[in-house]
Amino acid sequence: MIEIEHLTKRYGKKTAVDDLTFTVKPGVVTGFLGPNGAGKSTTMRAIVGLDAPTSGLARVNGRHYSEFRSPLTEVGALLEAKSVHAGRSAYKHLLALARTHGIPKRRVTEVIDLVGLHEVAGKRVGGFSLGMGQRLGIAVALLGDPAVLILDEPVNGLDPDGVKWIRLLLKGLAAEGRTVFLSSHLMSELAQTAEHLVVIGQGRLLADTTVDAFVSGNGQARVRVVSPDAARLAESLAGPGISVASPERGVLEVTGTEAAVVGQTAAAHGLVLHELRTDRGSLEDAFMQLTADAVEYRQTSEGANR
Amino acid sequence: MTAAVMTDRPAAYTPPVHYKLSAAGLLRSEWTKLWSLRSTWIVLLCAVVFSAGLGALIASSVPSDQALGGAGAALDFSMAGIALASVFVAVLGILTVTGEYSTGSIRSTMSAAPKRVPVLWAKAAVYGAVVAVLFGVMVFLTFFMTQAIFSGTDLGGVSLADEGVLRALLGYAAMIVYLALLALGIGSILRNSAGSIGFYIGVIMILPQLATLLPWNWVAEVTPYAPGNVPNTLLLVDPTGANLSVGESWLWMGIWLVVTYGLAGVLLKRRDV
Repeated sequence: MIEIEHLTKRYGKKTAVDDLTFTVKPGVVTGFLGPNGAGKSTTMRAIVGLDAPTSGLARVNGRHYSEFRSPLTEVGALLEAKSVHAGRSAYKHLLALARTHGIPKRRVTEVIDLVGLHEVAGKRVGGFSLGMGQRLGIAVALLGDPAVLILDEPVNGLDPDGVKWIRLLLKGLAAEGRTVFLSSHLMSELAQTAEHLVVIGQGRLLADTTVDAFVSGNGQARVRVVSPDAARLAESLAGPGISVASPERGVLEVTGTEAAVVGQTAAAHGLVLHELRTDRGSLEDAFMQLTADAVEYRQTSEGANR
Repeated sequence: MTAAVMTDRPAAYTPPVHYKLSAAGLLRSEWTKLWSLRSTWIVLLCAVVFSAGLGALIASSVPSDQALGGAGAALDFSMAGIALASVFVAVLGILTVTGEYSTGSIRSTMSAAPKRVPVLWAKAAVYGAVVAVLFGVMVFLTFFMTQAIFSGTDLGGVSLADEGVLRALLGYAAMIVYLALLALGIGSILRNSAGSIGFYIGVIMILPQLATLLPWNWVAEVTPYAPGNVPNTLLLVDPTGANLSVGESWLWMGIWLVVTYGLAGVLLKRRDV
């Protein structure tokens, strides 16, 4: 359980996190979402005590992180990808961290195997790709077999296999009753991993809800139809609360109803369908809608002059 | 929360109970970190080669009719390389801290030990001990080697049993450990490799020498107490007439280390990592 209470962090005049309050519960994967510069990393750094809050509190299981007698078994963190000395091997990096807590070499080998770095464990980290660096960071986070996992953009630089692997891994860890908190600026990523969402923009809380509620609350499901009789189908579908758009010839995008209704309408009128599909209101759309006012860096159309 | 909701969730996870952060653990961790970098081996090897090699080279090139005989002069020549080695040792001391900041590994380190200050003690203890053992050996090795070269000249025939010789040799070892620790503390305060090395060489090593050229009397009064100068008395076979007594020398080394580490500790606690 992670508790953030009225957390505020200023760097000089700039406010990175502004009176943020939320709770991350064990047993589910919680996604931490926000555009770049929204304050995600700062919040995560405050949880593990690397940044001292200007005001407010960040607690783990009721205590400040520095009060734990074995911090690595309480919280495992992957912060910036490369928190490793480039001249040290992956194995020695993990071993040095393990020794602080008396964690045996066996566990070091175990996490190396778990993240798939077995073959390069003896190589210096400076030569690692971004993806290998991420895997090492994940190994560090798992080293103490912790109750709480905090991962800042864990899928960055991972190949598709790696992305799939970490999704399953995180869900599995949450299912064991651990608290799993991961950040991303990519909605689609979190949609497939997280159950719960905390959304921030410009350091402020925008939403603290389930992924499902977030999508249905902020975006609308849309039915996409491809039909040679698109024009007639559009007429037949017309009704209160239903809107039909045709982005291109022969294609309809229908909102306000369900795919089943569209299919039945087509059958009733003897119309041919080539494709019928529900686009879940994309998390991306919902996110864009919610953070529209909270994006710090936005390219402007006349950007070249600025 | 109702019972029905509770059963939806898996039982609370309990992390392993036998892993504990400890001072011994931090020492072992710093030991592992120190020796797992190639730069440690290279820099210490350079320090060893220079301290012994330069001593031997200088010893063999001293003219045999050297007017100033005696133990003091013999040690001055033999230990010339130790002074150079101290620069290597100081730079490595700085890098053990600043290397963590420049690479970002400090975030891993401080996440594992969030009270932070014990990490500084562990680093200083491990590095200080390594330098003490290494140069404890090197000082005597160089001494016996150069004495073998000097044998038959006015500089030869110096024995450890001679008045002040053993103390001066241990003084050289103490000086290099002191400078190593001072440099490590400076690294922890400044956190930047180039800045710390520049500060060490400029302010600790060179400034006190330049200061003697300045026209003000008080500067000459103060320079013996500069952090880079306070161990000087310990290097003398005959310390009578030195600016500081042997006791004062030890006292001031202690004072400068307390000041440096006090500041380093406070800053470490207060600054974001």
